[in-house]
Amino acid sequence: MAYSKIKLPASATIILLFGFVLLSLQLMSSATQESSELGEMYSWLLVINTLGSVILLGLVAFNAYSLVRELKKKEAGSRLTTRMVSLFVLLALAPAAIVFYFSVQFLHQGIDSWFNVEIDRAMDDALELSQSSLNQRMTWHIKQTKQMADQLRDKSEALIAMEVGSLWADSGALEIAVFSNQGRVLASSSVNPSDILPHLPDEQIWLLLRQNKEYFAFDPGDNDEMLVRIIVAIEADQSRFLQVLFPIPVRVTDLADSIEFAFIRYQEMNFLRDSLKTSFSLILLLVLLLSLLAAIWVAFISIRNIVAPVKELVKGTQAVADGDYQQQLPVMNQDDLGFLVESFNQMTRRIARSRDETRAAGLEVENQRAYLETILANLTAGVISFDAAFYIRTANQAAYRILHIPVSHFVGETLPTLATMHSELADVLNAIQSLLEKADDIWEQRIVFLGPNGRQELLCRGTPLFSQHGARTGAVVVFDDVTDLIQAQKNAAWGEVARRLAHEIKNPLTPIQLSAERLQHKLSKELQDGSAEFLQRGTRTIVQQVEAMKRMVDDFSEYARPSKKQVEKINLVDLILEVMALYLPSGIIFSTAFASDRVLVEADPVSLRQVLHNLIKNAQEATTAPCRIEIKIAKVSRNNTDYVELGIYDNGNGLNAEQLETIFDPYVTSKAKGTGLGLAIVKKIVEEHGGVIWVDTSYNGGAGFLLQLPVFEFGNFK
Amino acid sequence: MLCLQLAPGLVKASDYAARIDYAELQHTDHGYTVQTHIDYRLSPTAKEALHKGVRLTWEVTIELRQPGVLWDTRIHNRKLTYSLQFHALLNQYVVQTPFDRSEMFLTLSAAMNFMAAVHDSTPIPAELLSADKPYLLAVKTQFNRELLPIPLRPVAYLDNRWFLSSVWYTWPIQK
Repeated sequence: MAYSKIKLPASATIILLFGFVLLSLQLMSSATQESSELGEMYSWLLVINTLGSVILLGLVAFNAYSLVRELKKKEAGSRLTTRMVSLFVLLALAPAAIVFYFSVQFLHQGIDSWFNVEIDRAMDDALELSQSSLNQRMTWHIKQTKQMADQLRDKSEALIAMEVGSLWADSGALEIAVFSNQGRVLASSSVNPSDILPHLPDEQIWLLLRQNKEYFAFDPGDNDEMLVRIIVAIEADQSRFLQVLFPIPVRVTDLADSIEFAFIRYQEMNFLRDSLKTSFSLILLLVLLLSLLAAIWVAFISIRNIVAPVKELVKGTQAVADGDYQQQLPVMNQDDLGFLVESFNQMTRRIARSRDETRAAGLEVENQRAYLETILANLTAGVISFDAAFYIRTANQAAYRILHIPVSHFVGETLPTLATMHSELADVLNAIQSLLEKADDIWEQRIVFLGPNGRQELLCRGTPLFSQHGARTGAVVVFDDVTDLIQAQKNAAWGEVARRLAHEIKNPLTPIQLSAERLQHKLSKELQDGSAEFLQRGTRTIVQQVEAMKRMVDDFSEYARPSKKQVEKINLVDLILEVMALYLPSGIIFSTAFASDRVLVEADPVSLRQVLHNLIKNAQEATTAPCRIEIKIAKVSRNNTDYVELGIYDNGNGLNAEQLETIFDPYVTSKAKGTGLGLAIVKKIVEEHGGVIWVDTSYNGGAGFLLQLPVFEFGNFK
Repeated sequence: MLCLQLAPGLVKASDYAARIDYAELQHTDHGYTVQTHIDYRLSPTAKEALHKGVRLTWEVTIELRQPGVLWDTRIHNRKLTYSLQFHALLNQYVVQTPFDRSEMFLTLSAAMNFMAAVHDSTPIPAELLSADKPYLLAVKTQFNRELLPIPLRPVAYLDNRWFLSSVWYTWPIQK
């Protein structure tokens, strides 16, 4: 419905235009007819048609210009429109030009055929014949008039007046008049009695008369009749003139008029021959131009209408090519193009649906990937995946936390490359690389190495990946830092040992001690001096050893018992200085490097004091030369948490590799009197306070311990 | 076409354009009559057309105007039509006057001279003119191309040999 509403005015305009063009051409064609009343409008019609042609030419030129612009812009459908319009113009122009050419030829030949030498001669002869006939009549009347003049010569005016009447009656003339050379009428006689005055000659006739002494000519008379006017002088001195008007017979006049009309008409046509050709050619050209231009203009409109769906299709296809699958084109006609547009719409709908499904599937995959990545990122275990050539593909956050290097930044590198850049991890990385290359199945291995935070133990599990065809596509290594776990297991085991010792050993000690003391008390008085002294030495030894065992068991109990911390904010610097003051008398030379004089930590001061005592005492006992202890405090950040890093370095013998592995284990000591619980207790206290302690392996001047504790406030740097 | 007719002065001045030699008002008992003399000049093409039987027609326009600030007010207008034709049989020139009278002339110059001397005997009422106001007598002669044979008309509008009209000539008059 909407389509017809849009199209109807355009069609009506075109029909009206063609109607107007045809009417105008018909009117102009009619106007060329000599008898037509439209002859007066010929020039206007010519102008109107020329203007119509100019307007149509303008419309065609505008459309052609628009098409050229569209072509330059490479707009959709412009090339098809150009091709169709060019074809139409060619098809329309060629036959029209041929028809025009031959029409003009026929027209010119037709006009030329109207005229030929024979007709020319015949017309001239006819005119000459007419003129001869009239001239002959004229000659006769001249002769007759001269005879009448002779009769009147040398007569008085009265006699002349008398004879004029008889002369008129004899001659058959219409009028006879005698007048003087001054123009005064002396006598006259006329066929019409009512004519008082004769037809006197005018100035022109007088002029000729004075020059030639006689005058004869044809005069138009009344009622379309023709007269012969003859004037001759009566006397030789031209004092009087005789004028005679003879009538030409009506039949002769009619014939002469007819011949004259035909001759003049023919002469006029002959004169207008070229103009006729030009005029008819011009009309034909106008007809051709109007028809052709109107047809081309209508062709532009029609072709644009035809190409419009194709244009929309091209635009739609371009949009689809650019990824816009929502294109739905309007179906203008239920024809082949409409079917094509409908098919296009169906295609875009299907593509859009497929795209949406693919996008949803991709989104699902992406969600799964993100989900897995989130899981991997939040795993406490480090995960590194490799491709078939053992280049790193992915690594999670835990890998960075465990290995202390941003493995994810080295995607595309191999583990040996990573090892060259981080020599402290060379052992573990090379070990993993070796296992990856060798393993054809799932493998599991514990790898111990000295990391930046001391000795670490990793539990690694590797899984080679294979494709469906059995080809190796990569591998995944999952590893976890089990150092703390192992340590916790050890601590638990030692705690159990301590509990059992306390239970199994400490209980019998008291009866042993009491029995020994009773033995001495009962028997010392009964034995001789020598035996009594021996008994006393024996029982004292028993009591002393029992006391020693009690202390040892108490130490174990202390180590195994969960601590009861009284946590408060203390200044670590003050605590260190306080403990240092206790050791100054012993000759230890302290040196300090504190980054701040106010480092508040939330800790149990008694436990922390014991840590410092143990570490300083350990350094003191490990040093034979004058003991020098350097204490450093610095601020470090780890996992978005600020820590105070306390370093205690001595100038002792240092630790060998074997000691490094077990230094924090209970009952591990290199000293003769040591229980081996000092550093174990230190580690236990530090870990209970959320800190870590490790041996600074980079220090070579003796033994160095680094411990980190969460800091509550770290004062300004000095 | 209309523009050419209304403003012949806009086109290129033709060598064959008619000229108005003079015009004057003559006082009579019944009012004023106009007398003017027009110098007609026929181009060879026009002469040939005349001798081939084409009738040539001029329309002499006489106006009495009262000058205004922006435009003149026309207070009297008169058109006199003259046509000239060659009579092949009699070898004479026929002039059709505006007064429905035919005059025959043996020579073309005689016929042209007859046409040149225009005497409009129709009087202009004396009441139309005031003694204290200036007036203009405007005369022009317009060759009527539309009375030419149809095939000749387009050419007559384009060929300056057919530009036989005069422009407006004006003469101030005082009563």
